[in-house]
Amino acid sequence: VSWKAIACSAVGKRHLERQVPCQDYGQYAIAAESLIFGAVADGAGSAKHADVGAKLAVETALEKLKAQVTTTELPTTESSARQLFTTVVESVVIALQAQSIMGDYLLEDLACTLLIFIATPEQIAAMQIGDGFIVMNTAPKNATQAEYKLLFRPDRGEYINETCFVTSDYALEQMQVGLCSGHTQFVCASTDGLEKVAIRINDWQPFAPFFTPLAACLDAPLDEAKTYLQNFLESDRLNARTDDDKTLLLCQYDVREEL
Amino acid sequence: MLVGQPEFVENPENRCPVILLLDTSSSMSGEPISALNSGLLAFKDAVLQDEQAALRVDVAIVSFGPVQLVQDFVTIDQFNPPYLEARGLTPMGEAVNYALDLLETRKSTYKNNGIQYYRPWVFMITDGAPNPDSPWQQAADRLRSAEMQRKLSFFAVGVQGADMATLKQITPPERPPLLLNGLDFRAMFQWLSDSMVRVSSSTVGGEMVVLPPVGWGQITS
Repeated sequence: VSWKAIACSAVGKRHLERQVPCQDYGQYAIAAESLIFGAVADGAGSAKHADVGAKLAVETALEKLKAQVTTTELPTTESSARQLFTTVVESVVIALQAQSIMGDYLLEDLACTLLIFIATPEQIAAMQIGDGFIVMNTAPKNATQAEYKLLFRPDRGEYINETCFVTSDYALEQMQVGLCSGHTQFVCASTDGLEKVAIRINDWQPFAPFFTPLAACLDAPLDEAKTYLQNFLESDRLNARTDDDKTLLLCQYDVREEL
Repeated sequence: MLVGQPEFVENPENRCPVILLLDTSSSMSGEPISALNSGLLAFKDAVLQDEQAALRVDVAIVSFGPVQLVQDFVTIDQFNPPYLEARGLTPMGEAVNYALDLLETRKSTYKNNGIQYYRPWVFMITDGAPNPDSPWQQAADRLRSAEMQRKLSFFAVGVQGADMATLKQITPPERPPLLLNGLDFRAMFQWLSDSMVRVSSSTVGGEMVVLPPVGWGQITS
């Protein structure tokens, strides 16, 4: 009985054509039987080393969480969650700064969005800087119908092609933080590449027929599920709908025995 | 065992609004207006080459002999360019005000329908000077402040005979008016189309939109 998780990314058509590497990254860390950390980042297209920035941001965030959070020291209020995520983001920015000095380029060359969550089966604490989305199923584990919930709306300016990055001066002010108690059997974090196929934008509702097969795939053995996800992210069907990089980080707390 | 593939929600296309603000005063009659009309057709054809842009570029046309909405917002795939006729004076200030109002209305429509959009463009073409009684200075102030608030991007193109000095007082300082080479509307609209394709395919937080080089006009001092 533990968390089961998969992180997958696929390069978008537009980057493929220009031979630009995938600028998305997603990863997780299972810290204890009931405790999982997840993070995804989308490197800014305008940043020269966006791929490096996204990966470093995610890895630094997970390291910091592993060092700071245990099952007995979970944030219990939104303000303690904000405090925790603030120190995480600060260490991410320090890591990005160090990298930019080492590589002799600008901090902005590593600009990326960042979404992080800390989940137990009963609670999730999460943050988001920029766009992308975290969706969870809040239904009790024996419920027949999933109840998907979008944690944060993507943070944008007025225009679709503008967002905020960890490296922005006002990143911490723009950081959205939330704490949700209740059932957290399934969590999906993603970058904005999947937003328009997964979220109904006029009321910001997660589209259940998108998420249900993803949740179901976690019932399969991990390597099978991983192949399924990678194939999905690289499918022509999906690429016809989005030309951006795509990332899925899925996790499920499974009480059933593995088959 | 794995069952089924994720299904996709149908969201409305993002929109990339552009208002063409066209001087159709009597001085445009003859060759200029006919070159402008064929330019509009060329614009439609050029944008249609890009499948995505054809669904996203949302064009409206406001003409000013008298100020008139000759084409309300429509995506390029549905756009039938009108045939413009030249007559009347040059109420340029009124036209700019009209365009700014039209844009705000359009943005509300987008918001009410959950449509995401790009920063709008207003693209003005004129061969003259505002009427003496036209409130062009007030319109210019309003335009510049809208620019400062990043509400839109304003472009002005002068056709031979245009009062470039006045145009310069209307446009934002960082984007001076351009004088069209002869009546090369075709090249200008091709550029506008290329620019719209770039803007309408730019992604969230993505590459900064670099506009194509202007081969159809020049900045006058």
